[in-house]
This record gives sequence, structure tokens and C-alpha cells, in this order.
Amino acid sequence: MFDIGFAQSTGITVCGRLDAANAVKAQAFLDKVEGECVLDLSGLDYISSAGLGVLLKTHKRLMASGHGVKLINVRHHIHDIFRYSGFDKLFEIVSATN
Amino acid sequence: MQQKFKRSPGELINIVTMTEAFFLQENLPAELRNVVDLAIEELFINMVTYNTETSQPVEIQMLPFEDGVEVIMTDSDVERFNPTKLRHVNVDAPLEDRQPGGLGLFLVLKMVDSISYQYENRQSRINFTVNGKQHV
Repeated sequence: MFDIGFAQSTGITVCGRLDAANAVKAQAFLDKVEGECVLDLSGLDYISSAGLGVLLKTHKRLMASGHGVKLINVRHHIHDIFRYSGFDKLFEIVSATN
Repeated sequence: MQQKFKRSPGELINIVTMTEAFFLQENLPAELRNVVDLAIEELFINMVTYNTETSQPVEIQMLPFEDGVEVIMTDSDVERFNPTKLRHVNVDAPLEDRQPGGLGLFLVLKMVDSISYQYENRQSRINFTVNGKQHV
């Protein structure tokens, strides 16, 4: 299961599994986003390097116009992946509170 | 538990279903699932992306041991490619120097507890373990 879409309060929600099979769908959605991009990852269960690639490509594109991607409500095990890959130094990340 | 999968990223959903069933059957801690899923996905995608000269399915076998999971992935009729050789990824590089791609095998080597590679008769066999004591 994977879903990505706009939410009223938190920007864009990303739910389920962002793996190699779902990366194309995620990239197609994020390619249309302009300006500051806040991704609510509270529903993200899993991310692989394919998903990391989607985030990185989007972040680089938006940073070029002075914006970027902010990751919020990041769960502990997803944060571990960001840390191992050095993404914690590239993105503004707000961890989930529980 | 043992199953063969077609050489397509679309098979990931079936691999996840197998992993889920295995964890349920063996009553393994859910915390290990993400590491096992990630390692299998990265290795599987690497096989189907780069070993394009074969149409043989990829075989995945999962075995429980006292504190974790052992996974054996077998790719037949392929050239030698050892994924356990560490490739340098500069995770401290600034954003402008980072490119999508190249992180998959790096993450596998970082997250699994042991990994080995054997190549014989044009068959690649990768064996890795994820230990509950390290990840729970």
C-alpha cells in the first residue's frame, strides 16, 4: 500500500511503503509541487533507497528556487534510515513525538 | 519458507507478502521487518536491474534462528557481482554533491548483521542475517 496526497493541515501526506515499486508514483506527484514542500511522514511505514532518491531529487529541485523539502512526523525507524544515509544533514527533519 | 519471484520491481509486493507470512509463522519481532524488507528489496532490485542477461526467477529463502532471520537469495545464469564489497558513499557530502542512486547496497551493508556472497556455476548466492538482539 502506498499513497501520497495533499492534506489541509500538514501539507502533503505520504503513507505506506515508499519502495522501488512506488517511487515512480511518488516522483510524478512531487514533480508538480512548487515552493516550500512539507511532507508529513507520520503514515510512512517503510522507505528504501528508491524512496530516498525521490526525496533527494525533489529537495534539490526546490532548493534551486530557494525552497526545499521539510520532513515532519518522522517515525523512529524511518529516521534511522535518514541518519544512515546522511539525509539528516540535508533535510530539515522533525521527528514524531511518539 | 522459500519462493521464486519474477525479475520485476512489481514483484516487491509479493515479496513483502512472503516476509509478512514468515514473520507471522515464526512469531518474529516486527522491529526486524524493516531491516529484512530493506535488504531484500535492495538486493532484489540490484539483481533485476543489472543481471539482465537472464530470465530465470530470483529465489528467496527465509530461515529462522534463535535471535533472528537468515535470508538466502539465489540468482541463476548470471555474471559474478559481489554486493558485499563496500562501495564508498560520502554521506557527509553537501546537497549539491549528492545524487539519487547508489545508496541501496550501502544501506544493506550498514544494516544487516552478516552478509556473504558465493558464486558457482553462474549462480550468485547471497546470504545475510538480521539479529534480533541488535535491532529490537
